[in-house]
Amino acid sequence: MHRINPRLVAVTITPFLVALAVSLGCFAAFREELPARIATHFGGSGQADDYTGHTGFVLVNVGLFVLMGLLWVAVAAKADSGDRSARGMTAAGYALAGFLGYLMAALVLVNRGVTEGDAAMYPMWHLLLACAVAALAAGAGLLAFRLLPPPSGPSRAERSDDPSRRIDLPAGVRAGWARRTGSWWMLALGLGLVALSLVFVFVVETTWLTAVLMGLVGVLVTLLSRPYVSVDRRGLTVSTGMVPWVRIRVPLDGIEQAESRKIDALGDFGGWGYRVRSKRSGLIFRSGEALVVRRAGGGREFAVTVEDSATAAALLNTLADRRRAGH
Amino acid sequence: MLFRIDPGSSVPLGEQIAAAARGALADGTLAAGERLPAARVLADSLGVNVHTVLRGYQRLREEGLIELRRGRGAVVVGGVDLQGRAALVGHVREFVLEARELGMSEDDLLDLVRTTLSEGT
Repeated sequence: MHRINPRLVAVTITPFLVALAVSLGCFAAFREELPARIATHFGGSGQADDYTGHTGFVLVNVGLFVLMGLLWVAVAAKADSGDRSARGMTAAGYALAGFLGYLMAALVLVNRGVTEGDAAMYPMWHLLLACAVAALAAGAGLLAFRLLPPPSGPSRAERSDDPSRRIDLPAGVRAGWARRTGSWWMLALGLGLVALSLVFVFVVETTWLTAVLMGLVGVLVTLLSRPYVSVDRRGLTVSTGMVPWVRIRVPLDGIEQAESRKIDALGDFGGWGYRVRSKRSGLIFRSGEALVVRRAGGGREFAVTVEDSATAAALLNTLADRRRAGH
Repeated sequence: MLFRIDPGSSVPLGEQIAAAARGALADGTLAAGERLPAARVLADSLGVNVHTVLRGYQRLREEGLIELRRGRGAVVVGGVDLQGRAALVGHVREFVLEARELGMSEDDLLDLVRTTLSEGT
């Protein structure tokens, strides 16, 4: 049974509620002085080029901060109570809320006292200030995280397979374990992004930079969507299974301990795909069993969700032992 | 699945790879419809030539345990009693090896099999 950590959830959602309160508070305070059409989009020179009504402005703010808050809370709710690796994610949430909250409040302020929306100007330095607010907010987030009480309940890490299991490997015998993993969803997503980027380039008129970036992200996602995981004398290798040179490898020397553990995608890694967090990273395609290696020198963990991970872990430990013994 | 090979053994490496798959099929670790690793990936992993792996896979195909499909690779067949069949293939290999050790000729061996087949039923 997974227990939600209410304090973590509270800490996580606070910045979004504060940002919403600040932006709506500004709106309420200066409402009389705002034009009927509020300038809400500006070109590079700071000139207004798109407008929203009052109701629209309120709705967008509510929608934006509530949705983002819910997204962050969804991850925090599933986080293991004994897990501190959500620190970066929490701080990022604070930074984002701070950034957007400032921009929304500034929107109100630049429209203040203006009779018609077109006269409003939104100079670039607001963006700089927004970044500064984001940085401060991130600091506040880290501090809030630190003030959380230390972990109490049983941590998910205790739900791992017997880490002492080894494979019988006489001297001179070579062994290898390989298995394909991944998700068809990710493959579809990757290919979809590539297709969409091509549409953007040739059909829809849009900045080609966006299309190129989208295409690149699509290619990356496609390459990592159905990888091969292999364990052998070279260590743990995750290769694309499509092109030979793109791969992630953890050499035997770099492995302190391998184990098969049940992980929760949202709670332990904050989502799916190639996840990077403060204490662990990994290729996460689903919740469930994963091959987790603890790296030497630092203890960072790298995980891959894959079937038959117990055998892989046993082999990895056997080969790592062998390496340490000098073979 | 796990593959173990002993370069020092007199058994050809391709056959060792096939034997590893047969063992996994016989004890149920490998099931119908599952895929064996791509030959290239396994070859890299074990540090052997890709043709060695392919030889092993061809043998398994001849024994009716896997299918080699273009684009999909080596897939374990369905619809047969895999564990039984894999174990049987293992027995046959042992049987042939024993006969060779006894100095039996191929014709004698085949006669023996035919006689046994005509019995019973």
